[in-house]
Amino acid sequence: MTLLAQFKEMFSEQVEYRELLYQMTLRDLLLRYKQTVMGFGWAVFMPLVNTAVFSVIFTRVAKIETPVPYPLFAFCGFLFWNFFASSLRFSVLSLTSNSNLVTKVYFPREIFPFSAVLVCLVDLAVGSVVLVGMMVYYGVAVTPALLFLPVVLAVLLAFTAGLALLLAMSNLYYRDIKYLFEVAITVWMFATSVVYPVESVGGNLGQLLAMNPMTQLIEACRSVLLYGRLPPAGPFAVTAVLSLFVLFAGWQSFHRAEFTFAENI
Amino acid sequence: MSRPAVVFDGVWKKFKRGERHDSLRDLIPAAAARLLGRSDPAAAENLTDKEFWAVHDVSFEVNPGEALGIIGPNGAGKSTILKLLSRILRPTRGRCEVRGRAGALIEVAAGFHPDLTGRENVYLQGAIMGMKRAEIGRKFDEIVQFAGVGEFIDTPVKRYSSGMNARLGFAIAAHLDPDVLLIDEVLSVGDAAFQDRCVARMRELIGRGIPIVFISHNLPAILDLCTRAIVINHGTVAFDGAPAAAIQEYRLVPWTKTDRSGAGAAASPIHIARTELLNDRGDSAAVFQSGGELRIRVAYEASKPVQHASIAIDIHRGDGVYCAGINTMMDKRDLGVMSGPGYVDLIIPRLNLLPGCYLVSVGILDATGGRVYDLHTSAYPFSVLSDRRDLGVIYLDREWAHHVPPAAPAERTLVAAGKDGS
Repeated sequence: MTLLAQFKEMFSEQVEYRELLYQMTLRDLLLRYKQTVMGFGWAVFMPLVNTAVFSVIFTRVAKIETPVPYPLFAFCGFLFWNFFASSLRFSVLSLTSNSNLVTKVYFPREIFPFSAVLVCLVDLAVGSVVLVGMMVYYGVAVTPALLFLPVVLAVLLAFTAGLALLLAMSNLYYRDIKYLFEVAITVWMFATSVVYPVESVGGNLGQLLAMNPMTQLIEACRSVLLYGRLPPAGPFAVTAVLSLFVLFAGWQSFHRAEFTFAENI
Repeated sequence: MSRPAVVFDGVWKKFKRGERHDSLRDLIPAAAARLLGRSDPAAAENLTDKEFWAVHDVSFEVNPGEALGIIGPNGAGKSTILKLLSRILRPTRGRCEVRGRAGALIEVAAGFHPDLTGRENVYLQGAIMGMKRAEIGRKFDEIVQFAGVGEFIDTPVKRYSSGMNARLGFAIAAHLDPDVLLIDEVLSVGDAAFQDRCVARMRELIGRGIPIVFISHNLPAILDLCTRAIVINHGTVAFDGAPAAAIQEYRLVPWTKTDRSGAGAAASPIHIARTELLNDRGDSAAVFQSGGELRIRVAYEASKPVQHASIAIDIHRGDGVYCAGINTMMDKRDLGVMSGPGYVDLIIPRLNLLPGCYLVSVGILDATGGRVYDLHTSAYPFSVLSDRRDLGVIYLDREWAHHVPPAAPAERTLVAAGKDGS
């Protein structure tokens, strides 16, 4: 089968099963709402606590320069970072925790990581209400650059979904992945400009950190939302191409392997 | 119409024995072996010492309007075949095709989440089985009614009894409107009334010409619902044909090895050498007509003369119902001296059993019935066919009489009065 035919099959399957993707996402949202007292409050609470902690550290203990007031800078970073990190955290376990469905019913297995990402996208939408509130409080002006936000989000979504597919699949074969993931995601957060601007790190380390696609993506979000300007064209284009590559490579290898999931889980 | 709905063409499926490699620790040596070229690509088609064929060159087709039963001992590969058909597994070799939407009733409540209510789970499970939201909405009331969960539909399913859970699951599956229906032993859930509803629903689908593949250990259900049956043993097709004949074939599989060569028989002075079921023409047969003759011939072999032994014959229906227990002692029939080879015939001139599959047990006992010389339990199957429409186990000779009561006197007066008035 040619690559093109394979991609066509992958897409048409998702279109055919779109209602299931909706139902699985709804299931996870409903469950969170039922099983927890705070429900969607958690989507706001976590980045707020993180923001408060790092605001104390970076405005009282070790002062750093940020283009916008620090709490706004950090909350914006946490909001998009949490979307990325939680999507992957749920995706890692998405196949293994649904082993009953994987071994008993047929449908495209991509549904599991995809619905995990969609649930986190809903969280992102809920959290962005607080972000808008903070933007109003700090008097951030709305500029035409905001029109570019959907493009930035699409690239972030592609990158996240691609990694989600790869992680879900790997954890099915090797359960070590979920432990490795926890270590990696913590390190990755501090290597990304979530709590501090990466420009403030100089030298070789600074250059290395600038190559991190998540830094590009989070900075692009801040650019269009807070700084009122488009992200730098060159690096952003590279990140976009890389993200699309991760999505298609991840999806294709997932799709090729999904017929062995039931007997390997 | 001419194209089969299900094609299973020379399918092989390989499984691994023993523990699976689960962590990265095992990946590194495996990856190293691959890099060094120690595993050649052809290995995918052959077996290593840790692998076995769960399905071994199986071929069959199911045409529209056919209901195929699959029977066989545990671990024979029946469920694997169904999983291959429903695309959960992919064959190692061969071709496996289902035309149209396959409704797989493998585990009907697999998608249920305990914390969600019945209503939420109906939508979720429906979507998992490939139904559209609007379709589920349309059938929702029907599903709830079929499942009989009534006012509990807005209760989380973790509060349901296991029967309610399974009933709701089956109710969703039963409303799937599939092009092909695949069923793996789901009739065992629910109470008797619910099982009847399930069978009625399956019959309705069969009646509409929807092809069905049905796996069950419930042999009467296979006989009842299927138009054809295959016997699977050790991953291969041991028999393919009429359900009654398939059931016989299946019944023969385990006993050929165990019961017929009972270890106790060696010490006995007499043992059963052979048992034959003969029809009215004296031919050995497996299928008999209800109302026809059945002759059970018990051939014995006595190593030394045995006096006043008795022969006992039991008939059970396939589902375990005890239909008849006959022996020479109760019939006051003395067999005298039995020595060397010989045989005894039990002649049943009119076999008044209704259609189904039955099992014959044969025993040779001493004069008091206290010592069992030899016993073959449920060793000889046969099935009964008939165009009789009765239900139950036996056919009763009968006639009907309708006695019209004489009309009441008052009525007669009234009629007379009416006549007078006109």
